[in-house]
Amino acid sequence: MRKLFVALTLLAAAGAAAADTTPARKPTAVKFDLVPSGHFIVKVRLNGKGPYNLIFDTGAPATLITPRIARDAGLTKDVKDKPPIALFGMMGSISVKEFQVGDVKAENVSAMILDHPTVKVFSDEYEPKYGKIDGIVGFPFFAQFRMTVDYAAREMTFVPSGYKAGDAMQDLTKAMMEKMMGKPEPRVAAPAGLWGMEIAKSSGDEAEGVDVKAVAAGGAAAEAGLKAGDRILTIDGRWTDNLGDAYTAASFAKPGKPVTVTLRRDGKEIKVPVSPKTGL
Amino acid sequence: MRARYGNQSLEMSTMRYLLLLVPLGLAAPAAAETGPKPREVAPTYEIPFRLTDTKHVLVRVKLNGKGPFNFIIDTGAPALIMPEALAKKIGAREKDGWVLLDKLELEGGLSVPDPRGVAVDMFQLKGMNSMGLAGVELHGVIGYNVLARYRIEYDFTDTKLKWSPSGYDAPAPKRITDKGGSQGGLEMMGDLMKFLAMFSGIKPNYEVKPRGLLGAELETAGSDLAVKSVLAGGPAEKAGLKAGDRITTVKGKSVGSPVDLLEAMKKLPEGASVKLDVKRGDETKQITVELGKGL
Repeated sequence: MRKLFVALTLLAAAGAAAADTTPARKPTAVKFDLVPSGHFIVKVRLNGKGPYNLIFDTGAPATLITPRIARDAGLTKDVKDKPPIALFGMMGSISVKEFQVGDVKAENVSAMILDHPTVKVFSDEYEPKYGKIDGIVGFPFFAQFRMTVDYAAREMTFVPSGYKAGDAMQDLTKAMMEKMMGKPEPRVAAPAGLWGMEIAKSSGDEAEGVDVKAVAAGGAAAEAGLKAGDRILTIDGRWTDNLGDAYTAASFAKPGKPVTVTLRRDGKEIKVPVSPKTGL
Repeated sequence: MRARYGNQSLEMSTMRYLLLLVPLGLAAPAAAETGPKPREVAPTYEIPFRLTDTKHVLVRVKLNGKGPFNFIIDTGAPALIMPEALAKKIGAREKDGWVLLDKLELEGGLSVPDPRGVAVDMFQLKGMNSMGLAGVELHGVIGYNVLARYRIEYDFTDTKLKWSPSGYDAPAPKRITDKGGSQGGLEMMGDLMKFLAMFSGIKPNYEVKPRGLLGAELETAGSDLAVKSVLAGGPAEKAGLKAGDRITTVKGKSVGSPVDLLEAMKKLPEGASVKLDVKRGDETKQITVELGKGL
């Protein structure tokens, strides 16, 4: 057990990313190379060294860099956790003080150093035209920004959003520990406001939406004109095809702010604004 | 206990490789580059998203009217990718390596024209699903062939993405593979993870329970949390809570605002009993409420 916790602590310490706290300003544009496989490549500098070619991947919760550029940028001395099994030359994690994509800089971006086989395949394919591909830009970088991706213009834009990306591996370690402790609790979806209604879905009812079963007099639902027998199809654009989904949608609907509820009533679809009240 | 933890490090190591959703292989014909088209004034769709426990950007889709299914927004994927079994289930037609859909809807009201994807079982999703790592079941990814046709704005302080059609006629992606036609030998990772999950006794739990209903409208009165009204026939009224009552503690935690109470009770499902300390005038009483159904 003790050994385990040491390992986990090290993982957890691996580079908590801090958000850029600069106040809102104009977006910074970054051009990218769209390659024939449908991926795109950006130029990255690590603590001012580079530029290196990395794939930009919204599907990557971690940022990866190859040992080659980690060494080139002088980052290997700061490695924080060495993996128990060094698959694919995995060296560990680091926090890159200044992680720059195009002209956009983020501070303290956590990254893993390894030769990911997929990155190698990319590199072999695109090296002749673009030079080596040395990693993947993932969540710890882009999460810190309000970002647009525009393939038509081959351009992204970034404005710091104040979001703190944290460390995917750390969160995951925690999630995995919980799962291993053998208590996979169901998630409880908590509405953010008080609607004053009961909803239901009969077993065997596979059609979209949930039924309004009862509406409390004087509640937010009653004030909005909802009635027992209405079928709720969406809340603020979110599908409500089962109770869990309906409660999840309600968890985003802040009290005092109207959200559009799409209903089916007497065979017709109508949209009704509902302002949940403060309460539960 | 010891045996259950034995594979922790191997699991952690394995997991690192599954997290990156960068599928390469895609047997689709390449087409000539057409370049950007002039942009028209396009509508903007607000697409709800959330982050999975694995920090993937998740949206929900309906395929041919069926679903919803959980898909990850993945610029590292060449196309909309779904498991073969799902393609079959929704009745997708196969053509030239693609599966053609009649309808691809994203939650938030966007229907993608001429929808198509590929049917491939991604080892990354298989691996993550075996342990329920993401916290939700992952069905597939949305990659380049769909994403490239939109300008997409991401903001992780918000709960919705903004999609507007860019008018870009994205050419079909070209397949790249290594010499073995595989993904650098990573494919075994999904099965390895599945095996480890079985060995560790990890079972995913995707169940979502509604939080229980108290049935009280709340307000802040000075530095107190006050009951503004109770729903007629609701759990709070049944338990004797009245308008004007000040709730001071819940489950032993002191509360001074509606937000405090919502936070303290956010994980209590229907049927849960909760003890509230209440001040009514000079009186202090304890009220036990059994949370009901509703919101």
